[in-house]
This record gives sequence, C-alpha cells and structure tokens, in this order.
Amino acid sequence: MTSLATPEKVSMADLAQGDSPQAEDGGRRLGFLLTLPAQVLVLFIAVFPLLVQLYISLTDWSPLDGIGWWQAYELWNGFANYTDLMADSRFWSALGRTALVMAICVPAEFLLGLGLAILFMDDFVGKRVFYSIMLIPMMVVPAVAGYMFFMLFQSGGPVNDILSSLTGMDVSIAWLSNPTTALIAVMIADIWQWTPLMFLILLAGLVGVPEDQVRAATLLGASWWQRFRTIVLPKMKTIIVIALAIRVIENFKIFDTLYIMTGGGPGVATETISVYIYKVTQQDLIWGYVAAIALVILVALSILVSLAISRMNAGKEA
Amino acid sequence: MNRSLPFEVFRYAAISLALAVTLVPTLWMASMAFKPIAEWSAAGADLTWWPKNPTLDNFRFIFGTSTSDLIVALDRTAGKPILSSLLSAVFGTLIAMGCGTAAAYGLSRFGSGKNLPLALIQLRLFPPMAVMIPVMIMWAFLGLVDSWWGLALIYGIVTLPFAFWLMKTFFDDMPREIEDAALVEGCSRSRVFMKITLPMMRPALASSALFVFILNWSDYLIALLLTTREWVTIPVYMASLSSSMTGQLYGAKAALGLIAAVPPVIMGIAIQRHLVRGLTFGALKQ
Repeated sequence: MTSLATPEKVSMADLAQGDSPQAEDGGRRLGFLLTLPAQVLVLFIAVFPLLVQLYISLTDWSPLDGIGWWQAYELWNGFANYTDLMADSRFWSALGRTALVMAICVPAEFLLGLGLAILFMDDFVGKRVFYSIMLIPMMVVPAVAGYMFFMLFQSGGPVNDILSSLTGMDVSIAWLSNPTTALIAVMIADIWQWTPLMFLILLAGLVGVPEDQVRAATLLGASWWQRFRTIVLPKMKTIIVIALAIRVIENFKIFDTLYIMTGGGPGVATETISVYIYKVTQQDLIWGYVAAIALVILVALSILVSLAISRMNAGKEA
Repeated sequence: MNRSLPFEVFRYAAISLALAVTLVPTLWMASMAFKPIAEWSAAGADLTWWPKNPTLDNFRFIFGTSTSDLIVALDRTAGKPILSSLLSAVFGTLIAMGCGTAAAYGLSRFGSGKNLPLALIQLRLFPPMAVMIPVMIMWAFLGLVDSWWGLALIYGIVTLPFAFWLMKTFFDDMPREIEDAALVEGCSRSRVFMKITLPMMRPALASSALFVFILNWSDYLIALLLTTREWVTIPVYMASLSSSMTGQLYGAKAALGLIAAVPPVIMGIAIQRHLVRGLTFGALKQ
C-alpha cells in the first residue's frame, strides 16, 4: 500500500495529555532535550558558514595569502567579486550547460522510468528478481559508476564494440575526447544511474492508484490510454511532482560521475556548475570569488524554491 | 491492466533490454577486475567480454603484493582508504541516526523543534559545492581536515535530513497505545522511549541506518575537498590511482571499484521495501 503522509495525526493520547499539564511539561522538556543535538548541528552548519561565506565573498582572500580568513578585511574589495561574476562567461556557460544536462536527463529519466514502471504494474514471472536488478545502478557509488562509464566509452572499449557489431562497420569514436560526444556520454551515465530512482518512485505511485476506479472505467469501455490519462495520471500528480523535484535538485548538483569521466573536459565541454566551482576552489584558489559564486547560487535557489512552494500551495487551494 | 499475448512479448522484450543495459556496465567492471594486464585495454577483435585468463592479481596489487606483470610502485595500498571509508561512513551514520532519531521522536511525540523538517530539507537542497568554502575554513580551523572523524562529522550533518525524516515517518506510523499503557503504569517518558519505543523500532532503525550508510559510503566530493593524504576514502584513492607515470591502471581500479560497489548494492537490495520512503523524505510510503 502506498499513501501520502498525513500531517500530525490527532490521537487519543494527544487529547489525554492536554488534560494533565504536568505530563505536558515533562514531555516538553524531554522533547526539547531530544531535538537539541539536531538543532545544534543545523545551526552549526547553517549560520556560521553563511556568515563566513558572506564575509569572504566581499574580499579577495585566498588560502595562499598567508593571512587567516578572519583577517580577510585587509583584502576588502567590496562587491568586485559580484560584478566580476556578472561578466564571467565561463560561469554563465557552466550554468547553461548544467541547465542543458538537466533539460535532457530529467525528462529522459522520467519517461524511461515511467515506461518501465507501467511494465511492472501487474504480476508476471520473474518480477521480483527483475525489480531488484533494476535498482542496482542507483546503489552503485556514483564515483565508481563514473569509472565504469569511463571504461565503457574508451575508443577501444565495449560501447564502440557493440556499435561495431550492430552497424557492421568499424566504429571507433573517441567519446570522451570530443566535446559533443563527451557531453552525450556523461548524460548517458546520469540517465543510467538515475532512471531506477524514477522507476522506483513512479511504480510506488502507480501501484497506489485505487484499482476499483480503473476497473469501473474498463467496464465502461474506456481504452487503456483513456484510463491512464483520466484516472491514473491525475492520481499520480503529487508523486510525479515529487519525483521530478528530487531529480531536478540532485541533477543540478551533478559532479561525481561527470568529474571522474571527463574532469569537465575536454576543455570546458562538460564543465557544469559544480565542476566549475570545484576547479576555482582547488586550482585557482580564489576563495573570495568562490564564496561569491556560492552565495549567488544559494540565494537564487532559495528564491526559486520559495516560488515553487508558494505556487504548489496556491495550486492546492484552487 | 493488459494481458494480451503481444503485450506479454513486448513486456519481456523491453524488460530484457532494460536489464541488459542495467547490467552491462557493472559486469564489464566486474570482468575487468579479474583480467590480467594484457587484456585490460585489448580493443577491436581482441576485446574480451570475459577474462580469458582470470586472475586475482589486480586485488593483490592494490593491497600491496607485488605481482609479476604490474611493476608499478604504489605509494600506498587500498587498506587505509577502505578503513577510512568504513570509519567515516559508520560514525557519520551513528551521528545522523543518533541526532535524527532523537529529534524525530521529540517532534513526533511532543511537537518540539517544529522548524526542523523544513530546515533539514533546505540543508539537502543546496549543492554541497556551494557551502564547502566555509566548511573547509571551519574544518581547517578546528583541525578536522584529513581525518576520518572530520569526515564523519560532516557526513553526519549531510545525512541528518534523511535520518530525521525517515525516523519521523516511522514514529508517526507507530501506534501510541503501548507507550500510553506504560505511562499509565508509572514509567517515566524517557524510560518509555529507551525501554519500549526504541526496541519496537529496531527494524525501522536498521533500515534507516543502512540507507544513511549507503549515502555516506557513496560520497566523493566532500572527501575530495576535506581529505588530502592520510585519510582519503576509496573514491578519492581510486581517482588518484593512475597518473601520467603509470597510465590507466584499468584492472586495479576495477578491482577497487568492485570492492566499493558491492556492499551498498547488497544493503540497498536488502532494504528495497523502504527505499521509496527514504528517497522521498517520507512523503511516499510503500
């Protein structure tokens, strides 16, 4: 059974607690103590880093300057990092590339995952075993998956071997050395690894659609596509939104597989936003500038997310 | 929904294709791990899908035993990176599960920490790369760089949202009647939690912990930034294994990749019943 979580169930215990203020007090103290460690960790990772980030981003500080980060005010440069960023074409093209990867990978993962989930809806021989095997890619360590695909896409590797035997010609594409094919290769790796996640979530959603409604529609003579479009899809709306949101968020962070496969190359052909930030952090070591990039991304994401949430809430009320 | 013969044929054909695509990359690496050096990069007509002369040399090599074919000197073996991955992932899981379970219980039963659900989702939302500069500064300041305990701390924080949300949905689902009965008997709240609730939640705790462990074990980026030499984890070590001096050490890397890939795959299949709940932050239960 699949069900959407219901917020805050009211049980008899809640009502009973309201009658005895003493128990309520003891509970509140214990509740406070229990949530304290998590609160401390959240504060530790949210407040201080954000302040440091903001401070560093207004300076030219680099760990090679020989002065501590707290003395970064000596290298104060106001908003220069932010104005530089506006003119940084490498940043903008990395951002565009990330959007391109997302625009291709997420829909591909969704459609493949949905198709597979539909095939797995009813029982057939071997379903359980096939289901477990289908989940393997998303459990493989992403860096290892990156290395698998690095091997597969070598010019003498198995991908070209399969293509050769399919076409009957001698295919020897140097996948990872050509800007276009390298981008295709990293997208294939992402789709391979994360289609199972879409499959898993969408299948859980499909199985949760009430069977009696589908059966009633079948008796009324609705075709498969009509049933799917008018009954199944509307019931799946929330689940589809969740699945897409998860992949959009995770895909935006894409780093591990891609970096192992191409290191962002050739040149900057597969440089996504995370790879770009990593390179500036590790190779150029201009941390003040990195902090500015990071803050801009954090603020932009926060605005996008609050817009998305308010739109979803508006949709719920309508 | 549909049971006609053409559909069944189509179903098995499509699923077979999907299974092949799913398995080929993994099997290629597994096969590579047992190939002798001569077969590593054999191309064209010489390309072998299964090792012709299977060998364990690749595994011996990464653990430091010199082999006849591989005369490359490793500056360190795979032992310490495996230990580092294990320690940081295990202790990171303990931190996340400890803090997450306690907070989830506090919220589920006493309504404490109402800010946590959203705050933790936001924590998960942002790309780690966008918050790593201050984390690297803080970790350097606290002397936590290049240590498994420093990694464990950041892993514990990064996976706290999953531990918290998973356990919250499990606590929300748990009937309260048993706890209430014990309270009436005169047990204190904390005693009920320790002696009754936690033992009852053992299966839920186990699957949540495995889920969090897989996430910690899978990290590459954070370890890449926060470890330099002593305590690099398996993925970082693997990436550093080949250099311009040695060329691609395909078989050795594949052997290491296999060691890294097998535990989470087994664990993931063991907890597949709860994967949907974990991945969707408990929004969807299966």
